[in-house]
Amino acid sequence: MVSTGLLTQTLINGLLLAGIYMAVGVGFSLIFGVLEIIDFAVGQYVMVGAFAGAALAPILGSEALLAVPFVFAAFFVVGVFVQPLIHHVTTGDRPMPLLMGLVFTFGLARFIRGSVLTIAGPNSRDVPTSIAVGSFSIPSIGTFPMVRVATALFGVAALAGFLYYLYRTEGGTAIRSVAEDRDISRLMGVNINRYQSLSYGAYAAMTASAGVFIGMVYSASVGMGMQYTGFAFFMIVLAGMGYLPGIILSGLVLGIVQSLTAVYLGSEYVFFILFGLIWVLLLVRPTGLLGKGEVA
Amino acid sequence: MASLTGCTGGSGSNSDRETFRFGIVTSLSGPLRYGGQVTKRGYDLWKNRINEDGGIEVNGNRYEVEFTYADAQSDPSTGADATQKMIDNEDVDAMLGPYSSQVPLSMGPILDQNQMPCITGSSESPELWRNQHEYLFGTIPSVNVFVGDVVEMLLSFDPSAETAYITGVNGPFSKSAAQGMRAGAEAAGVEVLGYELYPADADRSSIISEAQSAEPDVHLNSGNIDSNATFMASAQELSYEPNGVFQHYGINTPGYKNAGDAAAYTFGATLWLPQAGRSGGQLWGDSQTYADQFQAEYDKLPEYTEAASSATGVVYQEALAELGAEPPLTGDEQTQLISILEEITVDTFWGTIDYESEGENYHNNITTNPLAIQLNEDLDPEIVAPADVAETEPTYPIPSWSDR
Repeated sequence: MVSTGLLTQTLINGLLLAGIYMAVGVGFSLIFGVLEIIDFAVGQYVMVGAFAGAALAPILGSEALLAVPFVFAAFFVVGVFVQPLIHHVTTGDRPMPLLMGLVFTFGLARFIRGSVLTIAGPNSRDVPTSIAVGSFSIPSIGTFPMVRVATALFGVAALAGFLYYLYRTEGGTAIRSVAEDRDISRLMGVNINRYQSLSYGAYAAMTASAGVFIGMVYSASVGMGMQYTGFAFFMIVLAGMGYLPGIILSGLVLGIVQSLTAVYLGSEYVFFILFGLIWVLLLVRPTGLLGKGEVA
Repeated sequence: MASLTGCTGGSGSNSDRETFRFGIVTSLSGPLRYGGQVTKRGYDLWKNRINEDGGIEVNGNRYEVEFTYADAQSDPSTGADATQKMIDNEDVDAMLGPYSSQVPLSMGPILDQNQMPCITGSSESPELWRNQHEYLFGTIPSVNVFVGDVVEMLLSFDPSAETAYITGVNGPFSKSAAQGMRAGAEAAGVEVLGYELYPADADRSSIISEAQSAEPDVHLNSGNIDSNATFMASAQELSYEPNGVFQHYGINTPGYKNAGDAAAYTFGATLWLPQAGRSGGQLWGDSQTYADQFQAEYDKLPEYTEAASSATGVVYQEALAELGAEPPLTGDEQTQLISILEEITVDTFWGTIDYESEGENYHNNITTNPLAIQLNEDLDPEIVAPADVAETEPTYPIPSWSDR
């Protein structure tokens, strides 16, 4: 018999996980839409963001939350400078730009991972916080861990902020036009390179900041990146490739399916179920759950 | 490709040398690098100390010890290649083994084929000994043996536990530890409410919520250091409060402190601590003397694997003295060394070492008595059982999260 208490707590766990995944998926989806690249380095931005949080927190009174603005700003700059390199290998007379981008970012991911391993060593690091600690309980519903709530709020706020920028500002309109059709955007006077750099900078900043939160939940470890790369791929397929609002639904599906599977089938079946879901979706509905993703 | 490093400066047989040459294959890079360094520190300390004494005494003469390292790169196949190269090219008399269990599993057939003695000061998987490799020995008891013993101690604390929930990372080592926990619980007559193995990167919140709903008296969990730290942090987040939480491996390692305050009061198992009061044998008269020297050398307290690695060197020095053969050893002498290792009983600062000569623990030392430990508020480990060596009474049931 299914315990109601366990079911509601499992759903809470899933919802809070969804927030974590949204924080990672939002930037990934954005650059897929705007730059048309699949960035294999997404998980490594999460990892290096977590390590940045671990490194900065002691300077900031053992409070990693205070590190988030610094990480955001630093990685925005990093992203703005990395994007032209990606642009260089995915344009011109090179064949199969999607593959070129994938290979380039795969190399970037290995470089980031190797660098952190060399600098920080193989041991994991605590990403401390004294604000987002403990939990609160709602009787008859369940327990809400503060650090996961903070991470979920960050994910939701980031997504809302991105959506507001994209759909309510001139810059956002320019980015959407680039995502829609680069050539026409260029003819309309949109500075393509500028908006692509801004998008990649925002993505890197967003993802590394999410890494600080994820580090607070789990700790920072060199090997953590790969699973977030996997989750990010899952999310954009489920959301519909390049369709940013779909990240809300894909995050929810990812978090809740993961929690329910872990409790009612067993943790070892989580990836089997999740990737089974992706395979089926790619077969029957390649435009994502909402049917609004890009297709070739 | 495995890299060979060391001070031998060449390869091939050198019948004139007057040193005992040991080959060491361990993980100096890759995910198991931390553990590789643990074994290296233990072996190196033994080498430094024995050479300060003039070397291993054989028939009244002393022969210094030299090491040749090869990097297994945390990969079993690379470890196997490195072992073969070590035997073919480095003219070693005997070998010292790696951290983790997967690498020595791949080394075992090569050691047997080449009749090369090897003792590992790490490696706790029972699978190693079930394979019955004639030339492979292990100083640390199988994890399923000693973890089960410690779980029985924990379950006898007052008030005696009636129910337990067991979880573990689904890997060879942690799975064996979880099986040991289940055996210990069943031996103590405790009902196991749940037994779940999960992937190393699984989110712990679901696992803990499930255990929480079962309301066990104690929770037993196995995993690596990071995974166990994450488990406790998640337990704190979700206010999971059984009477006690036992974890293996590594609650007394620096990495476990990543769990912060959540790590306090965790129970764990160890085979050795500086304050364990073990004494006897050569080089280090007791466990505290060893710990002091280790601290002076490496500026940290030794872990039990480091101590076991050093103690493994002491076993070799006594076995070689009994063999009475000068370096370099011939093939026949290496085979005789195996017979001696099967028969010898060595008292060391780490405890008595006596390798089994038959059965499912073939060539594993299962004589060392395990210790139940608990982290105090300052996250320092204290021995809480067995009673004859306990430093303090266990804090059991552990304080609720709100009372800490």
